[in-house]
Amino acid sequence: MEFESYDVLVVGGGLAGIRAAIAAVEANPRVKVGMVSKVYPMRSHTVSAEGGAAAVMTPEDSYETHAFDTIKGSDYLADQDVVEAFVREAPIEITQMEHWGCPWSRNPDGTIAVRPFGGMTTWRTVFAADKSGFHMLHTVFQTSLKYPQITRHDEAFVTKLLIEDSRCVGVVALDIRTGRFDAITAKSVILATGGLGRVYAFTTNGNICTGDGMALAYRAGVGLKDMEMVQFHPTGLPFTGILITEAVRGEGGYLLNNEGERFLKRYVPNKMELGPRDIISRAMITEFDEGRGFEGPHGKYMHLDVRHLGEEVIDRKLPFMRELGREFVGIDIVKDPIPVRPVQHYMMGGVDADISGATPILGLYAAGECANVGLNGGNRLGSNSLPECLVFGAAAGRAAAHYASSARPVTTNPVDAMLWDEAHRVEAAYLEKKGGTERIADIREEMQKDMDAGAGVFRTRDGMSRLARNLGGLRERFEKVKIEDSSRTFNTEILAAMELDFMLEVSTTIVFSALAREESRGAHARRDFPERDDAKFLKHTLAFHTNALAPRLEYRDVTITNFKPQARTY
Amino acid sequence: MSATEAQSAPRVYPWRMPVNWWTRSRHYFWYIVREFTAVPLALWLLWLLVEIRRAGDGPAHYAPHSSLAFVVFSVIVLLFSLYHSFTFLSLAGSILHFKLMDRPVSSNLIVLSQFAMWAVASGVIGFFLVWLGR
Amino acid sequence: MPDKRITINATRYDPEHDEQPRLQSYEIPFYDESMVVLDALNYIKSHVDGSLSYRWSCRMGICGSCGMMVNGTPKLTCNAFLRDYWPRPVMVQPLNNFPIIRDLVIDMDDFMHKLKSIKPWIIRKQEMPLGAGEHRQTNEQIDDFRQFSECINCMLCYAACPVYGLNNEFLGPAATALARRYNLDSRDQGVKQRLPVLADSEGVWECSFVGECSVVCPKGVDPAKAIQQTKLDTTMRFVLPYGTRE
Repeated sequence: MEFESYDVLVVGGGLAGIRAAIAAVEANPRVKVGMVSKVYPMRSHTVSAEGGAAAVMTPEDSYETHAFDTIKGSDYLADQDVVEAFVREAPIEITQMEHWGCPWSRNPDGTIAVRPFGGMTTWRTVFAADKSGFHMLHTVFQTSLKYPQITRHDEAFVTKLLIEDSRCVGVVALDIRTGRFDAITAKSVILATGGLGRVYAFTTNGNICTGDGMALAYRAGVGLKDMEMVQFHPTGLPFTGILITEAVRGEGGYLLNNEGERFLKRYVPNKMELGPRDIISRAMITEFDEGRGFEGPHGKYMHLDVRHLGEEVIDRKLPFMRELGREFVGIDIVKDPIPVRPVQHYMMGGVDADISGATPILGLYAAGECANVGLNGGNRLGSNSLPECLVFGAAAGRAAAHYASSARPVTTNPVDAMLWDEAHRVEAAYLEKKGGTERIADIREEMQKDMDAGAGVFRTRDGMSRLARNLGGLRERFEKVKIEDSSRTFNTEILAAMELDFMLEVSTTIVFSALAREESRGAHARRDFPERDDAKFLKHTLAFHTNALAPRLEYRDVTITNFKPQARTY
Repeated sequence: MSATEAQSAPRVYPWRMPVNWWTRSRHYFWYIVREFTAVPLALWLLWLLVEIRRAGDGPAHYAPHSSLAFVVFSVIVLLFSLYHSFTFLSLAGSILHFKLMDRPVSSNLIVLSQFAMWAVASGVIGFFLVWLGR
Repeated sequence: MPDKRITINATRYDPEHDEQPRLQSYEIPFYDESMVVLDALNYIKSHVDGSLSYRWSCRMGICGSCGMMVNGTPKLTCNAFLRDYWPRPVMVQPLNNFPIIRDLVIDMDDFMHKLKSIKPWIIRKQEMPLGAGEHRQTNEQIDDFRQFSECINCMLCYAACPVYGLNNEFLGPAATALARRYNLDSRDQGVKQRLPVLADSEGVWECSFVGECSVVCPKGVDPAKAIQQTKLDTTMRFVLPYGTRE
């Protein structure tokens, strides 16, 4: 049987994935690059990012400051060599985006403008109004159309990585439209599948953020690193979880409790609303617990007030926020304060990958939010994620292209058999299954509720233990899942089932990694271990797949170069 | 059918434009009316050509049509023609865009200028027709 | 307090079983005033009928996945509030003017092909080296094309355009708006390369200015304006080929 075969196969069509594909072609115009995505690339969740992309762009700024801000922001869990390389590459990527047509907002002299952002000591966040992710995604996607070497497989869902002889040789993908299983072979595979927010009930993430690439790598034997580090963004709209960008605070917005107080002066007096996300989210929850939050039909909230900025500034710098306020909450942010509460937003944890995106499996790379290259550590600073996708997407693309140029071709014989096995596995589990009793949504909604309760902003041993037990129960119930859609054509129900399977997998790595980390660091805050413990835990957690519910955990030292860990106050 | 066998693409259901599509929304309906008005307008212009030819025989032998039906037809066509002119000139604001001293000229100003030019042109041509008719 | 309910009538089509699309009726709880049509579809799929297929992702009007006909009007279902329709039933159908793959999912290959055909990337006679930094561009220059850059590729405009419905060779609103976005970008020098596709008889000249595309656009792109401006632009280039901007 003939299979599609590529030198580099990118899984995921967001900012990191598309950037990787372009980088591979630019590194070697003779490579054949394939891109598989379960949605059309314009739908990737990059599109919803709002605030901007940080890079050293002005003479007042320096690599050292950006690196220090990032490392301190990470609560010293970041690998400092990776951070130092990142801050040097980020400005080049910003300029490259500009050359490709990204409409960065400008200074009067026509140079690219910067705005302040949380945890950044200098103004260094480049932005395209308040729709930076939208403009960046459309820029790279439209630019990618000019490279004939890139072939896209849109609306194809990868169900398994093909590993042969300890190297990755491709993927098995379900063509959503026809229901056909394909093996797509490649000398190298780059996972760029984004985050996993949908394991939580209250998240900014879209429906497609289900941790697919993380689960695929995990099942292939790659460790998932620092999975306990889940970012909660301070300002999400109640009920929907729609993101209100940090740029609102960057432009001067105030966070007020029900006494009208800018309460952050009691938590981060030097940075106030521009403190790092983990500290501000904890501050808000503490204020809620102490009765100083507003009560609403969808939970407690604070006021984010931009009325003092004036209509002109809002329309120029935050027009999309005004639109969101009007459409989803029925308010005009020029005249009303915005109701906000902490919401799951980003995953610092992910597939264990190094500075060039390489995982421990030969030929397998990872980039973007699904990877953990060691940049963000325990907490990511706002506006570091978009340049992360660019820098490490490009790095992975180049590394994969280079590797592929000397890698052995893929032999079809074992692939044949692997494809057959996988196709039959999925068919038996979903398409031909009879007698299921559990609705997918019931299991999913319980998982999400349990994750919100047990693995939220503040964690306790009891809460996490209960969550771990519940996840075990949900996995058993998932064996009896009911599939009502028997069609092969665009069957989104089996997609939902497979995504739930992946989500249950990554959720367990989150809770068990969190249980084992008996300290509070970055976004991982434990009421029973409220202090940071560098002696025991200045290490990355690595979770490996086992046949039991709990993963096997290992630890790896953090790479320290120039910045010794200190107390983290703002 | 095996999941891995080449499966021909499932049968998409093709789009067929319903014959009555233009009745399904007010916007579509008025669009078709607008397009349709070109027909009576063309017929009226043909009549004008015929009259011009007839009038070539000299003023003594010439009398224009004066039947009531024809007057009504002419008034209706005049209204259609005004409707066309109005919509066409109003669109100028969105189609034309240019800058004066680095500031974009407002579309309201552009539209106003179009109507002003129309009024001036009508005045000039009307004056000449009356003067020549004397 | 009695629970409110609402009826959703959704198109169903499974090519393995159906000769043609049919409507299926679902009655569901209307449990919150801020519920949108997408929430209703999700409720149906989660708790009533798992076989209902449709596209969605961001639920905040920026990814462009969830466009469907709601009571005969193309809308993003994440932004169509049930309270505006209740207590009457809501009809949810796949976007007009496109072939139907399954239920509420349409075939958008044609649009993807047209998007590529207008060369939606910065074209320069000579690439500037990265080391030279950014092209200088002012916010006013960005304002020239900003509106047309807001397109989320949701294709509501194609669903609204009767010309596209009658003739799917027509380039269409969004593709033209995106071409105009690049033509107006001060950094781009590719107007000539986009001309053959735009000035074609199936390009902008097929448009007879119905204007419905701009009415339904959820992002205020105004593709009708882009098309009419392009008509003028291509004409000027034909009449006065020299001295026009690259």
